[in-house]
Amino acid sequence: MKISGIRKRLDSREIGAVELTKEYLDRIDRYDGKINSYITVCRDEAVAMAERAQKLIDSGNASALTGIPLSVKDNICTNGIKTTCASRMLKDFVPVYDAYAVEKLKNEGFVMLGKTNMDEFAMGGSSQTSYFGGVKNPYNTECVPGGSSGGAAASVAAGMCAAALGSDTGGSVRQPSAFCGVTGLKPTYGAVSRWGLIAFASSFDQIGVCALSAEDAGYVFDAICGRDENDATSSARAKGGSTELIGKDISNITVGIPREFIEDASDEVKEAVQKAAEFYRQTGCNVKECSLPSLEYAVSAYYLISSAEAASNLSRFDGIKYGHRSGLGEDYNALIKSSRSEGFGTEVKRRIMLGNYALCSGYYDAYYNKARRIRAQIRNEYRAIFDSCDVILTPTAPTPAYRIGAQEDDPVKMYLADVCTVTANIAGLPSVSTVCGYSGGLPVGMSITGRPFDEKTILAVCDRFERDFERKECCL
Amino acid sequence: MRYQPVIGLEIHCELLTGSKVFCSCRNEFGGGANTRVCPRCSGMPGTLPLLNRNAVRLAAKAGFATNCTVNKYSAFDRKNYFYPDLPKAYQITQFESPICTDGYIDVIGGKRIRINRIHIEEDAGKLVHDDYEGISMADYNRCGVPLIEIVTEPDFRSAEEVQDFVQKIAQSLRYAGVCDGRMEQGSLRVDVNISIMPYGSEEFGTRAEIKNLNSVKSIGRAIEYEISRQSEILDKGGRVVQETRRYNENHDDTKAMRSKEEAHDYRYFPEPDIPPVLFSDDEIEQIRNEMPEMPAERYRRYTEEYGLSGEDARLMTAQKEFSDFYDSAAASAPEYRLISNLMLGEISHLINETGTDISNVKFTPEAVAKTAKMTASGTISKGSAKEIIDILFEEGGDPEKIAGERGFIMSNDASEMEAVIDKVLSDNAELVEQYRSGSEKLFGYIMGLVMRACGKGANPAIIKQKLSEKL
Amino acid sequence: MFDEKLTAHLAELSKLEFNNEELEKMTEDMTAIVGLMDKVRGFETDEKPYTVEPVSYGELREDNYKASYPTDNILKNAANIKNDSFVVPKVV
Repeated sequence: MKISGIRKRLDSREIGAVELTKEYLDRIDRYDGKINSYITVCRDEAVAMAERAQKLIDSGNASALTGIPLSVKDNICTNGIKTTCASRMLKDFVPVYDAYAVEKLKNEGFVMLGKTNMDEFAMGGSSQTSYFGGVKNPYNTECVPGGSSGGAAASVAAGMCAAALGSDTGGSVRQPSAFCGVTGLKPTYGAVSRWGLIAFASSFDQIGVCALSAEDAGYVFDAICGRDENDATSSARAKGGSTELIGKDISNITVGIPREFIEDASDEVKEAVQKAAEFYRQTGCNVKECSLPSLEYAVSAYYLISSAEAASNLSRFDGIKYGHRSGLGEDYNALIKSSRSEGFGTEVKRRIMLGNYALCSGYYDAYYNKARRIRAQIRNEYRAIFDSCDVILTPTAPTPAYRIGAQEDDPVKMYLADVCTVTANIAGLPSVSTVCGYSGGLPVGMSITGRPFDEKTILAVCDRFERDFERKECCL
Repeated sequence: MRYQPVIGLEIHCELLTGSKVFCSCRNEFGGGANTRVCPRCSGMPGTLPLLNRNAVRLAAKAGFATNCTVNKYSAFDRKNYFYPDLPKAYQITQFESPICTDGYIDVIGGKRIRINRIHIEEDAGKLVHDDYEGISMADYNRCGVPLIEIVTEPDFRSAEEVQDFVQKIAQSLRYAGVCDGRMEQGSLRVDVNISIMPYGSEEFGTRAEIKNLNSVKSIGRAIEYEISRQSEILDKGGRVVQETRRYNENHDDTKAMRSKEEAHDYRYFPEPDIPPVLFSDDEIEQIRNEMPEMPAERYRRYTEEYGLSGEDARLMTAQKEFSDFYDSAAASAPEYRLISNLMLGEISHLINETGTDISNVKFTPEAVAKTAKMTASGTISKGSAKEIIDILFEEGGDPEKIAGERGFIMSNDASEMEAVIDKVLSDNAELVEQYRSGSEKLFGYIMGLVMRACGKGANPAIIKQKLSEKL
Repeated sequence: MFDEKLTAHLAELSKLEFNNEELEKMTEDMTAIVGLMDKVRGFETDEKPYTVEPVSYGELREDNYKASYPTDNILKNAANIKNDSFVVPKVV
């Protein structure tokens, strides 16, 4: 059920917050064995939070998310509750502080059902690299849910929470949302504080939301956005109010379709996105073709920069201060090598190796710095597009969800599949993915991307489509 | 063979901020292990650095103190390496765009030493070793203490130049309130890069880096040792190896530190968690206006305008608080040399003897000025001035009142003095006889007797004149 | 150009260790991945490398100190502690 509906039921006392929370917990008990979307379910904490929420409701102090049961991706720190990044390295790690986004939600009186499964350290697009086992797609449990926020998207799709906090470094909220048939918002870089988000690639990472609708994503976004003094890269420009254009006339909007994104998409994706473009045309929007000429370099540039940052960010995991400590290793060097080698999975190791390759002496200018030049170029090309377009419409992924085991072992194939999503991270733009069709019973996603800090326009454009589109529920 | 040494320095200075450079833990020395640590400075996952404005301000002041350009744009980078005292496994520093560039300090012989750059960085933690158990224990209290690193060009050609430079840098930074400059406590740490080459050569040799120098004296000794060590190698036809060496005070030598298994590749890249910092012209000007007069300028003023000797001016400027005290006194009475004599004489003597310092004395600069003024006007004698300083040091108070109440005001009544002189001479007829028959050195002794008989208020000049006449 | 020697060098920088079989597989993966990355080498541009927008000096954190965290909290996730410190094999 959508947040607005739950809000009504709670505020009208049709259901109590504790009872509601228990319904969700029951559903998790019943179905998550099949999906594996949660790493940790916080039963006792959730009930305690629901009790507090009920008091707020009873005293007339409820706000938008009071008593709303949400899940939190397991790379977002929660004080006193395990935060593992789905890695053996952090399988027992208990943070001593809350992430800013979690703190804000707590202030609203939300209910945290648990911590969701993901690709290890958010590196991947399949949610199959988790130390705690892979996540299944609720529409077809033989398929991947996408990633890295696969647990988040699947938990929303399967009704095991009302909405979910995820993180998006190169598409990790939008792509699993597309695969699992839900709405996924990646806010503008700097709109949501990264304080407490365990860093993968600091200049791309952004906390985002998986929800049942654009409107729901907006509610959660409004609660977590804003300048945070703990994060020097967070911005005062994100002020909330992201749902205020929802329901308004959008016929004055210009929708750009950058041709390069469509070219590599599969037929079913191409067809669904073109249908959506047609929908906007009929709604009265000005739909026109545009171009992002450097798209072909985007995936490589993204992987070089993000892996470089990741190699550095993940260096702190040595088993000394926290995390997996190996029983092997005679000296310091040997100890940290075996701790890291035992603690990290293969894909994480590949990224660290690639990052150090990009940065190491002799290769820096050819790879890392070149990638930064491409980043500047892509940002310029986007600026030019947004001179004449308000939003752009692209596929979220070149294909719908694929079968588990089909391509996760082929890094190059996996990386190339990020082509539709990485440029929003490269340019720091807000982008929302929604379902625009189905193929073989699996959802197909499209993304609407806008100007920096213009979440309200992309959510309104996304919402307009969702109102006229009938979603199919998954059957568990 | 004698060789020409070529030396450059890297100096790390702890900044006098209240909090650490990237978090709000208190910046202070000592304390129990890991008691001044938070998730940020211990590098916990999900934490982010927050740059301390005052660290940037003090770094800019260090730039002004060393004639650098303070850059409007500066940025931070990560220096990546693994070591147990570095919890994030990277040090946040400034690599591409340091805050200050292109400065200089003049050293003995009027030689100009160029400063390449000054950048801001964070300190690492401390390791305590337990040989018995074969473990090292990491304490992160020092992690994130703000540092600046001052990097010179290889412009030094002798240990004396280096020592003078280090003293001047420490003094300037203390003046500017940037760093307390205490080498023995490690708040100012000097690494010496040194190579040698035949005299007349233009091609620098392979350099060694010497660490663990905790006094100006050990810098001099380590450099001398290193020159002779490297000379011996070259004399024997060997090659100097590029390495890091540690100076050992007890043995007075340097030893190679355990060589790293491979050359470091620090993989610097821009720190994505800290946006670059931009100064406005006004902000830079404001910081420049906060700069006190630097010791070199004070030295010039004292020697050229106040007429102090070079040595007195050097002593007077050595410590800022002392020099400030002098300036306040000089501002209330232009008796520059008399005040200087009192401060470098009796006052310094008393301070050293009692182990206090100028900021804790019981008297004001104005009191010293008054004392000097009374001396200059002939109201009290120089000897009395000293005694008054002693009283001020013990009790404080107003020197004019002290002089009046305790009989220090000089009497110029010649007839009264003549009577005393006559009495002394008649009481000591034998001495007078000896003097008159040629023992001229007795004059001083007789003068002393007369002075004592006259009391402290008598003017010694008049007594001397009258006594000469009578003898 | 990507060989096991380079993989071993990167592994050392990364503080990772691989047995022979893993080293071979990693070299194979890295060869393919770097093949994809080589795409950027063909990109010609005059653009300067992207950097984050600067912030002004006046916006930086004020120099006020706050209480640190309790030492127990700082140490609680560590596997080996002694004298309130993190223990490692002795480094010279």
